[in-house]
Amino acid sequence: MEFESRYEISRTAEFIRGGNFTKVALQFPDELLKDSVRVASALRNELRRLGGDGNVKDASLFVMADTAYGSCCVDEVGASHVGADCVVHYGHACLSPTTKLPAFFVFGKAPMSVSDCTKNLVDDAVTSGKPILVLFGLEYAHLIHNIREEVVAACESRPQLEIQFAEVLCSDMNPSNKQNTSDQGMVRASVLIDDKSFGKLAGNRGIGGLVWKLREGRKMEDHLLFWIGSDNSAFVNVVLTFNACEIVRYDAAENCMVTDFSQQKRILKRRYYLVEKAKDANIVGILVGTLGVAGYHHMINQMKELITAAGKKAYTLVMGRPNPAKLANFPECDIFIYVSCAQTALLDSKEYLSPVITPFEATLAFNRDSHWTGAYVMEFRDLINSSLAESRSHSKEARFSFLQGGYVEDFDTQENDKEEEEGALALANATEKALQLRDNANSLVKRTVKSGAEYLMTRSYQGLEIHNENSLPEPYLIGRSGRAAGYKDEKSEMGNF
Amino acid sequence: MSFSFVFDSSGEIWLCVLVDVEPFSYFIFVCDTQRLVKMVKFTAEELRKIMDYKHNIRNMSVIAHVDHGKSTLTDSLVAAAGIIAQEVAGDVRMTDTRADEAERGITIKSTGISLYYEMTDEALKSYKGERQGNEYLINLIDSPGHVDFSSEVTAALRITDGALVVVDCVEGVCVQTETVLRQALGERIRPVLTVNKMDRCFLELQVDGEEAYQTFSRVIENANVIMATYEDPLLGDVMVYPEKGTVAFSAGLHGWAFTLTNFAKMYASKFGVDESKMMERLWGENFFDPATKKWTSKNTGSPTCKRGFVQFCYEPIKQIINTCMNDQKDKLWPMLKKLGVTIKSEEKDLMGKALMKRVMQTWLPASSALLEMMIFHLPSPSTAQRYRVENLYEGPLDDVYSTAIRNCDPDGPLMLYVSKMIPASDKGRFFAFGRVFAGKVSTGLKVRIMGPNYVPGEKKDLYVKSVQRTVIWMGKKQETVEDVPCGNTVALVGLDQYITKNATLTNEKEVDAHPIRAMKFSVSPVVRVAVQCKVASDLPKLVEGLKRLAKSDPMVVCTMEESGEHIVAGAGELHLEICLKDLQDDFMGGAEIIKSDPVVSFRETVLEKSSRTVMSKSPNKHNRLYMEARPLEEGLAEAIDDGRIGPRDDPKLRSKILSEEFGWDKDLAKKIWCFGPETTGPNMVVDMCKGVQYLNEIKDSVVAGFQWASKEGALAEENMRGICFEVCDVVLHADAIHRGGGQVIPTARRVIYASQITAKPRLLEPVYLVEIQAPEQALGGIYSVLNQKRGHVFEEMQRQGTPLYNIKAYLPVIESFGFSSTLRAATSGQAFPQCVFDHWDMMMSDPLEAGSQAAQLVADIRKRKGLKEQMTPLSEYEDKL
Repeated sequence: MEFESRYEISRTAEFIRGGNFTKVALQFPDELLKDSVRVASALRNELRRLGGDGNVKDASLFVMADTAYGSCCVDEVGASHVGADCVVHYGHACLSPTTKLPAFFVFGKAPMSVSDCTKNLVDDAVTSGKPILVLFGLEYAHLIHNIREEVVAACESRPQLEIQFAEVLCSDMNPSNKQNTSDQGMVRASVLIDDKSFGKLAGNRGIGGLVWKLREGRKMEDHLLFWIGSDNSAFVNVVLTFNACEIVRYDAAENCMVTDFSQQKRILKRRYYLVEKAKDANIVGILVGTLGVAGYHHMINQMKELITAAGKKAYTLVMGRPNPAKLANFPECDIFIYVSCAQTALLDSKEYLSPVITPFEATLAFNRDSHWTGAYVMEFRDLINSSLAESRSHSKEARFSFLQGGYVEDFDTQENDKEEEEGALALANATEKALQLRDNANSLVKRTVKSGAEYLMTRSYQGLEIHNENSLPEPYLIGRSGRAAGYKDEKSEMGNF
Repeated sequence: MSFSFVFDSSGEIWLCVLVDVEPFSYFIFVCDTQRLVKMVKFTAEELRKIMDYKHNIRNMSVIAHVDHGKSTLTDSLVAAAGIIAQEVAGDVRMTDTRADEAERGITIKSTGISLYYEMTDEALKSYKGERQGNEYLINLIDSPGHVDFSSEVTAALRITDGALVVVDCVEGVCVQTETVLRQALGERIRPVLTVNKMDRCFLELQVDGEEAYQTFSRVIENANVIMATYEDPLLGDVMVYPEKGTVAFSAGLHGWAFTLTNFAKMYASKFGVDESKMMERLWGENFFDPATKKWTSKNTGSPTCKRGFVQFCYEPIKQIINTCMNDQKDKLWPMLKKLGVTIKSEEKDLMGKALMKRVMQTWLPASSALLEMMIFHLPSPSTAQRYRVENLYEGPLDDVYSTAIRNCDPDGPLMLYVSKMIPASDKGRFFAFGRVFAGKVSTGLKVRIMGPNYVPGEKKDLYVKSVQRTVIWMGKKQETVEDVPCGNTVALVGLDQYITKNATLTNEKEVDAHPIRAMKFSVSPVVRVAVQCKVASDLPKLVEGLKRLAKSDPMVVCTMEESGEHIVAGAGELHLEICLKDLQDDFMGGAEIIKSDPVVSFRETVLEKSSRTVMSKSPNKHNRLYMEARPLEEGLAEAIDDGRIGPRDDPKLRSKILSEEFGWDKDLAKKIWCFGPETTGPNMVVDMCKGVQYLNEIKDSVVAGFQWASKEGALAEENMRGICFEVCDVVLHADAIHRGGGQVIPTARRVIYASQITAKPRLLEPVYLVEIQAPEQALGGIYSVLNQKRGHVFEEMQRQGTPLYNIKAYLPVIESFGFSSTLRAATSGQAFPQCVFDHWDMMMSDPLEAGSQAAQLVADIRKRKGLKEQMTPLSEYEDKL
């Protein structure tokens, strides 16, 4: 029974039944995959029980694993392989709106000591004196109701305390629904789906599936954010987005308060550095990090426009979930923009040859007029059409690069346009330049290259080398045998030691 | 209001106060030292007219060690003309225009003053060079002496042709004198010398004539030793000789100076020899015995026999000074009369020092001695550019541009070098200050701006813009003029957006022109602080301010750490302090900033060859790289720094240097794959493989991995230095798709780290060369402070004939913060250190050994950079079969 409640079998069955879905994809993250079979069979039983009359055809269930992108997003492409008409998503979710398929979310139910959490919450409220906004990881959503009750009880004696709780946006979404009702495009509209109380009213805020409404005249900065949950990507998302707010975290698993977020604050500064670094880039790779989140296509196009307008070259790459080895296959890219859902957007590791930034950061970097102000946007949906409309008339002053510690020359955008018109000659031009470059074969001086083709020209290895002086076939040689973990000849060597 | 000085034909000094009446015209109030004499209308055109006489221009800088009296000497030229009341002359420093300069008593920014000087026909009689009339324009640039600001000196040298080297007669040639002198000679700047602070000999030290002579001759000798190392057939002999008039003796504080010419003129008729003959007798081994009235080349031993210099120059001055100081006026007046010096009646009441100052100024005015020396012995632009063109111009030496520079041709194409950007009074704007080497620059002219990264034929770093205004710089005041011809300095308005630090300007249509060579600085920015704004929302102001700061100072570097902190790097503590002050007050409108403690960058190196060949596997496990690290031969890293060995070398030449100087195998030298970081750094990858398939295919990937790894070493992500990575063996997958960049680049990085860690990694710390001058009693204090700061003295020398000691020591940069003040405190202000970055020193402690000093340092750096405090262990980088 505990299992069934954790996976909300009956609610799920109702959702499927209610929507008359016949092919249902069950999407599991890796850590929950072990339960997938039990969930599927329990769900099937439940569906049978509900549709006992036999009129309705059995819904077929498909288990999906190993999501191509972040497992927090609904894998619509995967689901459409089986022609599923809805997706049930298990585990941690970012609640990014889907493009086509209706989705149902099962967050799971993590245990937590309600009384302990309440105590900490009330203590904090007393000490800080600020109004408190409680945000939480979705896996604790089931207990928020209990906490709220306890807090209300505890606060009865102290009416001056102001504690506000965020609410879960929804546990199911249906993109087709609202596309009929609203014609304003995909932006934000999907958020409206079936939550009547939280409309597009002013003062409404939301992040990662949570929504709340600020009181009149209040700003986010006035609040103390109280986060219940673990230090995961959802939390980092909150810290970065509301970096001007004071934030505390209650770690439910450890039953303790965490107030030191220097590491998270550091992330913000690090992102600032990456923005500066992006300004120096000449070739930009756009990584498609989602094929599901609504508006991704629009965003990619917007990024392309932005990059071209900045006089840089853009390449779009679709490679599933990026890793260092994959990205290092494109050493010509000075920077990558990762278009993905908010919670998988931050990819920062020393292992990457070139840094990976978010569309928001790219907007800052490639728009000469925009400055880093501290405000940070993770969700690219909030970015669409936001800044491009700004004036294009950037000043002619050379750009200052903080990486090189001096002024650097950007390629003139006008010149760039002209070159594009002469597109037919581009190859000829590149070849011409290549001839100049080869004057000293020994020098491997890194130059600024403007396109992938030019980069390849500067490489010392150009492809197969034909040795003209020796046209005879090479003698026959016996190659290695064995496995890559240790070829046979190496094994024997090891034995000698 | 501005001022200028006129020395009229009778030798009288006139002060001209220029008062604006309407744009482009002045009234000149010509005064003698006391009162207004006449009023002349002096228009900008007239001023401008002299600029056309290219033979009558002298562009010169004043260079010296800090506190040797440059600014004071420059002032004395002003003081002599009566701009500053006699009493305060020497205390007011006209060229130090900033409040902080006056406060600290040092010059921070170089400032220019233009002097107009009219020579008499009589005086020019012996002048052999070309000239147009008797009017001279002298553009004098006073530059800072403190080593932290030597970039200012570099900028000044570029736009001048001659240098007045000021040396303290007691302290002699010091480290900064030497540095700047070398720099000047490198730029083909002709030097003249003045032995300054003569007053100390007479008043403070009371040395006798022969001793003084020995001191002076040693000072001159020391300077000549440096100059003698520059043999340059085009520039000719650059050494200075008192007997040729290229050495002056001055007392800047009291405003007097002389060259032997002054005295030779005085005595020539008396002895019935010509002036040049007389000058030779006044220096060197020439002795005169008044008793026998005979000149000898040896001291005869008779008590009356004295060296010419002592007998005829030193003693008379000494006598006058002593007489004045003792107020023996009855003796004084006849003596002065004999010398032909007339003192105004109202000045006859002066007493002691004031009287002495006045008498000496009248007898031997510093301005005329020094200005005459400059006019006679320093080259005009037209002379200087003939040989400087080779140093200046990057392009072919037979094209029209180099010819125009060589001939200083005002009708040729414009060639103008902008050497610095001067902040203008409206915030955020700059004047582009520089020198016209050929052609003319005029208001409204469309110019082609070639930045430092411009490559002829490409469009990079190139702009075509119009000059809004051409301005000439007169002390604190700027005046707009129609145009400025070659040979002169000029300030341009309206180009600051397109010029970053320096640039070459030419006419719009001159597309074939090459730029003028970029300046080379003798100091490097080694001291860094992180800055942040107190109020987070001031960040845009900070960013803007840092950009402006970087523009205003050629030396300061504004960068950013990987952690997102803004870094300001300067040549020294003092330099940084000034920069941050400018940043906050001038460039950020007073918004408050917080600066961190100074941060020193380290380098990572290795002590030995890797203990074994290390191997790393690619992510797909199908490719393996085997590598070893070893230290580069001693001196090789420096050779790479200096650019003697680098990626652009001719391979044959490189292999010759490597095999002859560093004992490399000739074939191996051809197998250097690359240098790094930034493709030019002092580390390299060498291919030691034999017969490996597909090796050339992964070369680019390995190089990319190396560039990455050498920039961020394994210890603390500091740059690597002096490491040679040898690729020992490579096993690659047979399919090209499985050995692409994605597989090889990260693997190369890992194997480089593994080989670094197995080769006894060490940290290198930057070390200053400190030069300290102090009297004997301060030595104890100096030694104890140095000891306490991990410094070590390697040279201690008493300056001959002085109670002063010269101490040279090495001091780790990290210990140098607050060193000056500690030292001053420990020696009651008697010791003054000058620090210049000298070399990288290996720290012997093992950073891999827990608890060692180096390990602590590594942990601190990692913490500051926001890295994991623990170093990544070797097992993460090295793979086993």
